[in-house]
Amino acid sequence: MSVKAFKLVSAVEREMLMGDKNYINIECIECCGKNLYIGTNDCFIYRFLLDEKTSTAGKITFAATKQLHKYLGLKKPVSELKAASALTRLLVLCDNTITLVNMMNLEPVPTGARIKGAVTFTLNENPVSGDPFCVEVCIISVKRRTIQMFMVFEDRVQIVKEVFTPEQPCAVAVDGYYLCLALTTQYIILNYNTGVSQDLFPYCSDEKRPIVKRIGRQEFLLAGPGGLGMFATVDGISQRAPVHWSENVIGAALCFPYVVALDDEFITVHSMLDQQQKQTLPFKEGHILQDFEGKVIVATNKGVYILVPLPLEKQIQDLLASHRVEEALVLAKGARRNIPKEKFQVMYKRILQQAGFIQFAQLQFLEAKELFRSGQLDVRELISLYPFLLPTSSSFIRSHPPLHEYADLNQLTQGDQEKMTKCKRFLMSYLNEVRSTEVANGYKEDIDTALLKLYAEANHESLLDLLVSENFCLLTDSAAWLEKHKKYFALGLLYHYNGQDATALQLWVKIVDGDIEDSTRSDLYEYIVDFLTFCSDQDLVWKYSEWVLQKNEEVGVQIFTKRPLEEQEKNNINPDDIISCLNKYPKARVKYLEYLVVERKIEKEKYHTHLAVLYLEAILQLKSVTTDNCTEATELLLKLRSLLQKSDLYRIHFILDKIQGTDLHMESAILYGKLEEHEKALHILVHELKDYHAAEEYCIWNSENRDMQYRRRLFHMLLSVYLNPSTSDCALVMAAVDLLNNHAAEFDASLVLQVVPDSWSVQLLSPFLAGAVRQSIHTRRMTQAALGLAQAENLIYKYEKVKQRGTPILLSDKKMYKPWDVHGQVKEKDSSVVIRGFLWVTDRGGQMERLN
Amino acid sequence: MKKPDGKVVLLGDMNVGKTSLLHRYMEKRFQETVSTVGGAFYLKQWGPYNISIWDTAGREQFHGLGSMYCRGAAAVILTYDVNSLQSLTELEERFLALTDSASADCIFAIVGNKVDLTDDCALPPDENRPEKSVASCSSKVRKQVCAEDAIALYKKILKYKMLDEKDVPAAEKMCFETSAKTGYKVDYLFETVFDMVVPIIVRQKAEGPPQTVDITDYKPAKRTKSGCCA
Ligand SMILES: Nc1nc2c(ncn2[C@@H]2O[C@H](COP(=O)(O)OP(=O)(O)OP(=O)(O)O)[C@@H](O)[C@H]2O)c(=O)[nH]1
Ligand SMILES: [Mg+2]
Repeated sequence: MSVKAFKLVSAVEREMLMGDKNYINIECIECCGKNLYIGTNDCFIYRFLLDEKTSTAGKITFAATKQLHKYLGLKKPVSELKAASALTRLLVLCDNTITLVNMMNLEPVPTGARIKGAVTFTLNENPVSGDPFCVEVCIISVKRRTIQMFMVFEDRVQIVKEVFTPEQPCAVAVDGYYLCLALTTQYIILNYNTGVSQDLFPYCSDEKRPIVKRIGRQEFLLAGPGGLGMFATVDGISQRAPVHWSENVIGAALCFPYVVALDDEFITVHSMLDQQQKQTLPFKEGHILQDFEGKVIVATNKGVYILVPLPLEKQIQDLLASHRVEEALVLAKGARRNIPKEKFQVMYKRILQQAGFIQFAQLQFLEAKELFRSGQLDVRELISLYPFLLPTSSSFIRSHPPLHEYADLNQLTQGDQEKMTKCKRFLMSYLNEVRSTEVANGYKEDIDTALLKLYAEANHESLLDLLVSENFCLLTDSAAWLEKHKKYFALGLLYHYNGQDATALQLWVKIVDGDIEDSTRSDLYEYIVDFLTFCSDQDLVWKYSEWVLQKNEEVGVQIFTKRPLEEQEKNNINPDDIISCLNKYPKARVKYLEYLVVERKIEKEKYHTHLAVLYLEAILQLKSVTTDNCTEATELLLKLRSLLQKSDLYRIHFILDKIQGTDLHMESAILYGKLEEHEKALHILVHELKDYHAAEEYCIWNSENRDMQYRRRLFHMLLSVYLNPSTSDCALVMAAVDLLNNHAAEFDASLVLQVVPDSWSVQLLSPFLAGAVRQSIHTRRMTQAALGLAQAENLIYKYEKVKQRGTPILLSDKKMYKPWDVHGQVKEKDSSVVIRGFLWVTDRGGQMERLN
Repeated sequence: MKKPDGKVVLLGDMNVGKTSLLHRYMEKRFQETVSTVGGAFYLKQWGPYNISIWDTAGREQFHGLGSMYCRGAAAVILTYDVNSLQSLTELEERFLALTDSASADCIFAIVGNKVDLTDDCALPPDENRPEKSVASCSSKVRKQVCAEDAIALYKKILKYKMLDEKDVPAAEKMCFETSAKTGYKVDYLFETVFDMVVPIIVRQKAEGPPQTVDITDYKPAKRTKSGCCA
């Protein structure tokens, strides 16, 4: 628990004061600047000059040299001394009288100004008068239950106020208008200006001497029951928890942030910040403890000692050294108001960082992180604890003096692997958190490289995320590390990120080929294909195209077929080059041509023909080995048909030649169709394939986007193929009947009736006939309706005509004739116009006359 | 040091578990305590406010400090031990008067602690159960103070403060049974109280610094057990 907050240093030895006169006792002391005053029981006042000396080792000593002493001539003890430096007066209480003497020569003021009848007195350190040449003195009067306030000037005194208390007061402290009083049975706060009082708490002054001490603006420290040091404000509330002294405390003093108390055996030091006891100094026979402008002085009857506070920073460092982080931080925070802002901030940051490392060493990572964050730690301090993590090129040197006592993590964990892993995990998460914050500014390279190393070593999945997103990993350092940990895929990513795609690909290809081992990605081949697809370096694409295609033609060809659109637009790779490259890879070649023809819709005869030929060859090849209709062949056939039907670009005759003599009837039918040789096509469909449905379909798709006549012609053609007198196939007859009945609308009924055999019954053709008749009636009615409408329109025009004639229109030469006004238009250059089909002219008088 | 915006004070006889309750709430654990000397003080961030919580000493010796600790309090948590009827009686006889210095609109909570030691802590408190023989329970004991007693005390407090039941939180809401040992209802207790303290803080802030004004206000109302003018 102990902190070394103070050191006890002797100031005035007994010999200096009393020599061998043993009866002389120190009664009271006062210290003001370098002046130390001592009042004795034999009515003397001594003045010493106190010189503070700091040895080279930083040890502080005090040398007191006696300046003079003065006998007051009363044979009574000097019971209290208070300096009023603004007045250069010393106030001396002796024999219930306060006299004013000169601070330097201790001579009484000539006026003999004094305050009589004082039991004890105190100065108001927060004066209300505002006069700098006046001190406010508060006395407990010899009169019962009376407090008096005086204004004391250089050589006169003046009573200001007298207040009465409910009980006899025995100790008083003042702050502004507030008196804090120890009465016989309790402490109270009394506003002497308003007379309002406020009870604090009961206390039996007869049993134990009360203590009332002002410790700051509007706050007092009081001796409470059970040896408590109680804090109370002028508002009568407590803002700090009490400190726990011993039962027999006789004096208390304040030296922020410590409360110092004196009992018959010890000086104890408590912190006001956490109320904990911090230090105990044995000190026997002490009877005075007081603080003077921050200087704490204790005295026995015979000697005077000074409690020299150790520098706060030293105290804090001591606390940190014994790993008492919490206390150190409280102390540091408490010191804020005593240290200049800039200096404090630097100091405090450093303490936070040190505290962070202490927590870190105890694996208290959450706390450590918070401390590092608030202490704005240079992350490299932390990284540098981990061997090999900082890049070799890093210029970082640890701060001096060091923030912690550890050489590295090995020392810190003492080789404990589990701890080591935990520390590494912490650093990972910490670096990951800070890398994108301003904490990382200036050394992003160090952070990212360290992070990469940690990830790689721990086999952490985030390694890849790090490398594929924006990062500052240093190439040489990271590459060596990744290689060492056999993270070849990641290494490839690193090269890629650094613009070295060739090296990256080389590595990856080696992994796929099994030359080096890295199981990061099972689909690395596909990854490479993808990579090449989006690789803008065409040399690389060409370089690895062979490798990629050899592995898998169909997947490999994606490097050509899935290239990003913007590149295609620039048309960077010549398709002909690709095709010639793909000659060795037939499947890939077909895929590529399909891509050109179907997907990109490139309208070039050679691709279309080439694709058709490839399909054809493949089909024929398949047919030659197997007679079954395997799915592959069917698929190809469908593709071929679709190409032949949809494309108009291939060389028809060339394909036709190749198809001749094979059993690809449907396909030749399509080709004839393309050549407009429909009869031949239909003949094949009907006679060779006997696929009547296909034949009907043929008529339909071949007449798509053509006029009615064209379609009819095809249907009639089909009908005549069915009804060809050279065959009397029953099936054909049925087909013809079905055709007519199902597609009545596609035929000219009168022509049909001429060609159907007489032997057919009406019954057989009734759907067709009914359809034809309905069609014909429909046509008639439509025509009649059109006629009616036309007549109606004609009538409207006639009516208009009659109306126009009734009111002639006057046109002048000057007036421009606006054709849109009368729905007409200027026809002749001078003044003739056509309005609604009639030609009009204007005569000289402007009269309009109809000419036709 | 951050200046607290509002104050909550724990009062109650020694040994009822005030320190343990606070410790459980602040540190989330239960550990052996020593009897509190004088008082202790915690700061709790509650939303935008800092609430100071005072743990007082129950020992007779420190009784006199209570009034000062309560001065201006926004809430007082009166704590007893459910296994000691005496501790509940003490609240009324010894501690209630200390709250005279609390803020005029101070809220009161009554907390029966150590329910873990009793046989029926899990049962609803207001259930009317037939008398059970104490001997029938193995290690646990029949609790000495039931919730009705606490509610009755709460109503007495209202009477003492001359408050209308309609203007204050309902007795059922302000009487708690907790266990610092198991943590039972401890968070609930403090959170309920803090939530109620916030409007008081807001009001106090709106009215400006209260203490300097309050001192003069308090004077005539001081220690008038018979009540003051409404
Ligand atoms: N079983 C049980 N024991 C408890 C509980 N709460 C407190 N205790 C015990 O009761 C004893 C007193 O607890 P404290 O919290 O110190 O009581 P206190 O009210 O602060 O007492 P003072 O500080 O003297 O006023 C300790 O031994 C605790 O371990 C509880 O909920 N259940
Ligand atoms: Mg306690």
